[in-house]
Amino acid sequence: MSGLVSLGLALAFDPAALASLGGDAASIETDAAALRGTPITRPSPAYTVREIAGESSMDVQEFTNNRGVVFAVSWSAPVIPDLRLLLGSYFGRYTDALARLRQAGIHRTVRIDSPELVVESSGHLRAYRGLAYLPSEVPAGVTTAELQ
Amino acid sequence: MSASRRRAPATLGLGVLVAASLLTACRGGTGTPAISGTPAPVPNVVTLVVDAGPTAAGGAINHAYVTVNVCASGSQTQCANIDHVLLDTGSNGLRLVASVLAAHAVALTPLSDAAGNTLEECVSFVGGQTWGPVALADVHLAGEAALKVPVQVMNDTASGAPPPATCGANGTLINGVSGFAANGVLGVGVFEQDCGQSCVAPATPLALYYGCTAAGACAAVNAPLTDQVTNPVALFAADNNGVIVTLPNLQSANGDPSVQGTLVFGIATQSDNALPSSGIAVLGTDAAGDFRTAYNGAATGMPGLIDSGTDSYAFSDATIAVCASGAFVGYYCPAVAPLSLSAVNTGVGANATSSTVDFALDDPNSFVAGATAFIDLGGGGGSTTFTWGMPFFYGRTIYVGIDQRAAGLYTGPFYAY
Repeated sequence: MSGLVSLGLALAFDPAALASLGGDAASIETDAAALRGTPITRPSPAYTVREIAGESSMDVQEFTNNRGVVFAVSWSAPVIPDLRLLLGSYFGRYTDALARLRQAGIHRTVRIDSPELVVESSGHLRAYRGLAYLPSEVPAGVTTAELQ
Repeated sequence: MSASRRRAPATLGLGVLVAASLLTACRGGTGTPAISGTPAPVPNVVTLVVDAGPTAAGGAINHAYVTVNVCASGSQTQCANIDHVLLDTGSNGLRLVASVLAAHAVALTPLSDAAGNTLEECVSFVGGQTWGPVALADVHLAGEAALKVPVQVMNDTASGAPPPATCGANGTLINGVSGFAANGVLGVGVFEQDCGQSCVAPATPLALYYGCTAAGACAAVNAPLTDQVTNPVALFAADNNGVIVTLPNLQSANGDPSVQGTLVFGIATQSDNALPSSGIAVLGTDAAGDFRTAYNGAATGMPGLIDSGTDSYAFSDATIAVCASGAFVGYYCPAVAPLSLSAVNTGVGANATSSTVDFALDDPNSFVAGATAFIDLGGGGGSTTFTWGMPFFYGRTIYVGIDQRAAGLYTGPFYAY
């Protein structure tokens, strides 16, 4: 049943048009507009961070490697930002993985771990945090701790 | 919001007191009616049960349930006892599945937003989201009454609009009884409203409350505090400063068939809900409801909370194996069990106590089939929150103090144990 819901939403909203994770630097501008935030660039030797700070303590960071690929996004916000927007073409893999969790109930922490995609999402109303990254695109020597 | 909905705080308390007296009378209360201005103590304890959940749930684990008496606001007849409502110390407000209300013939009328559209809400539980209108209900628990409480009616396909594209963007919708493994969720966390000021007046409303036209077009809207989904405990006439959750220790590390405990309303307001003056850790939380937890000797803490709505100790540790198959995919399957662990909780603000907690994880594949209560269950989670879920509650008494409400020597928001 949940699969049908996802399909219906996907038809109404083309994630490829707003690709972020795995997309290029230009997609960050699209995200910033959609999230109504102002991107701030912070360069680092191995990557570039664009931080999109919006109203109500919403904060999204997108990390671009030297090949120009957005390899990680992280967020801290009172409501979860639109993950269909931030995960782009990887959103379907995320929801597929969620659907495989067997125990019913509230899941306030989720970790999806695969060779292509890692998503860590946690929190509750007023304070959600999360990180999604593409392991194969993470520059050498960069730890996940510095992506949050 | 309609003008008739707006209520003056001064009259609210009186209204609740009168109604509480009526309720006692209707239920054949044995107490002598109070003749002085001091209300008599009201029954403030309900039973908490950990079992397999509603039949439609297909077998829940580590879910603590209460039965909630709900009436359509102002009605004496459109009332029902809704069983298997999940007790959730990690959220605020009552949310009930629409089909369950319908089965009990309780129809709740949705509120309207400032533009006259139906007020709906999209709430994320990280692993999934709920969608449905906000409606007023009268909520009774033990002898306590909270009238005109904004509650969420989850998955209301009859009177509500379908969710907009932005609801469901964080995972699948988990509206139904089977998704929640419950007929509803009773959020008795550290706040009065689920969102608070962040949803009142930003220029760009948060994607939480929505106004939906009759045609089903929905847009995010701001909602005044009085219309936000509200922790019913905060609206009780007395015993309204928090709750106390007590569950016994388990008999077996491999799981108990079921467990019973208590949910007590009020902290240090009656003879049965004292807050000990020593021997407990009172952990103040920040404005989001988190204290700090430093796991496994970490120098810096991460946000932490005590959450009966989570079925496990949920945290991230890449050194512990995750179950790859079986009923517990995604939970921790330590190679050597039991695995002993430790973390330090530290309060935020005025209540800045520190407390070291030792706990253990077992291999869930060794759990007894059919058992519903497990004390050593760990879930691999996001690395940025430490969630002290249901295993933490077994064998403890947990105090949840509501924001800005005094409780003995302390003032909320806090968790204590």
